Amino acid sequence: MNYGLTEDQASILAGLDQLIAAHSPEAPKEPRNYYYDAELDRAVAEAGYLQIAREPGFGVLEAALIAERLARLPWVVEAATSAIVAPVLPIPADLQPIALSSGDFSRPARFLPIAKVLVLNRGEDALIVRLDNATIEPVETLMAYPYGRLKSIEGLECQRIAQCDDLRRRWRIALACEAAGSMAAALAQVVEHVKARYAFGRPLGSFQAIQHRLAMAAEVTEAAKWLALRAAWSDIEADAAMAAGFAQCQVSQFTYDLHQFCGAMGLTLEFPLHLWTYRLRALVGEVGGASAQSQAAARATWTEAA
Amino acid sequence: MIQSIEDTRLQARAWLAANVPSEPPPEDGPAFRAFVLAWQKRQAEGGWAGISWPKEFGGRGASVLEQIVWFEEYARAGAPSPLDASFVGLNHAGPTLMACGTPEQKASHLPRILNGDVVWCQGFSEPGAGSDLASLKTRGRVEGDVLVVDGQKTWSSFADIADYQELLLRTDPAAKNSRALTWVICPMNSPGLTVRPIKTMAGPYKYCEVFYDEVRIPLSNIVGGLNNGWPTAMSTLAFERGTAAIALLIGLIQKVEQLLAACPVDRTAMRERLAGLRAQGASIRAMAYRVALESEDSIPDASGSIVRLAFSEFGQRVTAAALDLYGIDAPEVLTSQGLGHAYLDAFSETIAGGTSEIQRNIIAERLLGLPKGPR
Repeated sequence: MNYGLTEDQASILAGLDQLIAAHSPEAPKEPRNYYYDAELDRAVAEAGYLQIAREPGFGVLEAALIAERLARLPWVVEAATSAIVAPVLPIPADLQPIALSSGDFSRPARFLPIAKVLVLNRGEDALIVRLDNATIEPVETLMAYPYGRLKSIEGLECQRIAQCDDLRRRWRIALACEAAGSMAAALAQVVEHVKARYAFGRPLGSFQAIQHRLAMAAEVTEAAKWLALRAAWSDIEADAAMAAGFAQCQVSQFTYDLHQFCGAMGLTLEFPLHLWTYRLRALVGEVGGASAQSQAAARATWTEAA
Repeated sequence: MIQSIEDTRLQARAWLAANVPSEPPPEDGPAFRAFVLAWQKRQAEGGWAGISWPKEFGGRGASVLEQIVWFEEYARAGAPSPLDASFVGLNHAGPTLMACGTPEQKASHLPRILNGDVVWCQGFSEPGAGSDLASLKTRGRVEGDVLVVDGQKTWSSFADIADYQELLLRTDPAAKNSRALTWVICPMNSPGLTVRPIKTMAGPYKYCEVFYDEVRIPLSNIVGGLNNGWPTAMSTLAFERGTAAIALLIGLIQKVEQLLAACPVDRTAMRERLAGLRAQGASIRAMAYRVALESEDSIPDASGSIVRLAFSEFGQRVTAAALDLYGIDAPEVLTSQGLGHAYLDAFSETIAGGTSEIQRNIIAERLLGLPKGPR
């Protein structure tokens, strides 16, 4: 694995940054649990960023770089699934946004209210459900994504996938990228806060108790990012499970620490930290949660260990 | 003694079984205020209000052990949180008035707090003064027989539904902090006072900003004397035994038992985690009882900070485990009063009432005797 960006990768990210700058919606006046902007979602898709893994000369690593970068935004964008998971699914390339869920179809799934297709991981197999005529009930949650629940599956076009290994592996990589980007953005928000906020006549960030725990948070953020990128590069089960499992295991302490250093301010909707920490919390339960990733990582053969 | 405690337990259990509200409290606003005051009034009518207040002020005058028993039964009965909108009146303002108030102030306010007629809030923290409370800037200047107040307070829980605020002001800009502040009773309907509720990340409106623009408060509302606010605020601590928090602790311990019962046998890592939480809960309970009982006849030492620190982090661990057990999309998690709300609400545990960082400083400096760090 090459640890520096290639010229093409740097150019892709620079282009993405320009697109984001051009399409960034204004912040709503009323603070909300999350901000979803369909126009930004569409702009990212129309510019071809979600198809990058299908382009000759590019692959999952480029898709991962894009997903990680988009996860840093205060607005949620359905990019990780479309860019990283969709290429291994038997669905048209332009069919997105995509919702991913596990178990029963009636369980709440993130992005379902805006999705065109639901991919349901049922353990032994998976189901691809076209949502053209679906009735979707929005679900009010405190987490930072649009959540919805499918009322019924009757009459909807469904396609069964007998082999789910590719789906689960890519889902783990996508999750790891979203978590890494969210961690980076959340940490940056808090670092700015502790530089600007004073207590006892000093910036909060000058207290060692805070410095040390933020340094640990920085270590976690970097580790999550490189595990995610490594998993995207190798596209093997062991790396994917380690990347997703590592991020999921770290979320609890990471989010408590970041909120702690913003004091009561960080507990309000007016302070934007929750936009990323809510997302992290939502990601903790996906693909079976950290325990399932750990077991998958232990089961998988990891050639590098030899 | 043992028989008397057992009688108290049976009486408390019977009364709570017959009187605890069956419906959950409203999320916030006037409906929440009405709920809190009705519950307080019912406890007053039953003779259980002000469990720790001395009898001379209308309380039950219970021993620390009796208080523990009451709050154990309170938690087991699923009674409303004792740290809700009645907390400041019962545990801060009331005890401060008992210690430092004039006879008129005591006669006017204490019965109304006890009987559930009024809600109190706290006006200590400011945008630039949280853990560093002594740096507060909200000013009060004496003009004739009133204090004229200008400035801003924040994180004033329930200020939007409160009748009175215990307000800490800077009244002598030239003096050192210990002689510069004044503790005053601020009526929340005073002209020039504006409250802005803030929506929390856990859902409800709870904290508030309070703005004071030439708010005129009679000098007769000062408690403990002009420029004597710091010792007045500290006097509250002489009454605080932490027994009310025992109800919350037991509630969390019960939650761990529920989670263990709901955890499938094949989720071994989760069961180990929950078993660890069971042990933590038991240890904090033992520490809390020890600190409370030893404080019966003496001013508490800093051991309370160990309990406070352990309890606040325990609350976060239990609610996080609940989310991980059920999953983010489970019905138990998604509802507004559900585990998702409890999880997000627990973030405030390590911040409110003295952050965990401050508790660690206290433990290091006052209990371990380590040199004081730079402030």
